[in-house]
Amino acid sequence: MKLEITDCKGIKMIALSGEVDMYTSPELREEMMNLIRRRTSPLFVDFSGVSYIDSSGIATFVEGLKGIMSYNGKLKLVGIPDRIMEIFNFSKLDRVFEMYGSIDDALNSLNSF
Amino acid sequence: MVRSDMNEKVTITIPSHPKYLSVVRAVTARVGAVCGMNDSLTDGIKLAVDEACSNVIKHAYRGDTGKKIVVKYKITKKSLEVTIEDNGIKSDVEYMKGRDLDDLKPGGLGIHFIKKIFDVFELDSRKKVGNRLRLIKYLKGKYEA
Repeated sequence: MKLEITDCKGIKMIALSGEVDMYTSPELREEMMNLIRRRTSPLFVDFSGVSYIDSSGIATFVEGLKGIMSYNGKLKLVGIPDRIMEIFNFSKLDRVFEMYGSIDDALNSLNSF
Repeated sequence: MVRSDMNEKVTITIPSHPKYLSVVRAVTARVGAVCGMNDSLTDGIKLAVDEACSNVIKHAYRGDTGKKIVVKYKITKKSLEVTIEDNGIKSDVEYMKGRDLDDLKPGGLGIHFIKKIFDVFELDSRKKVGNRLRLIKYLKGKYEA
């Protein structure tokens, strides 16, 4: 897994790639929870380079969502590949997370209210 | 690939360290391909076997990375059987139900992923020390999910 924290037009974004599993998800959790402790919002996560995710990866995002919701922040998942989306769908988490096809779509969602 | 009447076995032994889960996934994916599974089904069994091994590390070995996990694949014309063995703490069958999918909380999804893919999910109570989880996927028609 590779993880990069970038600024996307002033918005914090975690760009993920590779495999998110029990071995790699602790690093993701640490970086994401650091941002959440600083009450970052909105927080984008770019999934477009993710080739695999397991339940520990999914659990990390559930924990992150709960943390960010505690201060009414927004977590937006972007560019989720189909094979990864199947896992979110099966877990019924597609109903819980805000998901967007592209970064532009996620940015536009910020302007729609 | 031409499939003959198969009754073949592949066995791998990995240390109970999460960094070796990628090895299990790679082998599982290749076994799926040998069975003629499509990409979607191969992804599913790869995830399921990964989850089963992760559970061994987390629950049977309580994070001890110095133990062993044995993964056995038995390939026949009609099915793929995967057995995951450890010598850790006996699993609680109640725990193995997984959490309610409508309950938003981290964890508890792995068991659902395993049961979604495999037709048989069986904890072998005859194993005296540790656990032996037996998973079977029946190969239908053209080996599609």
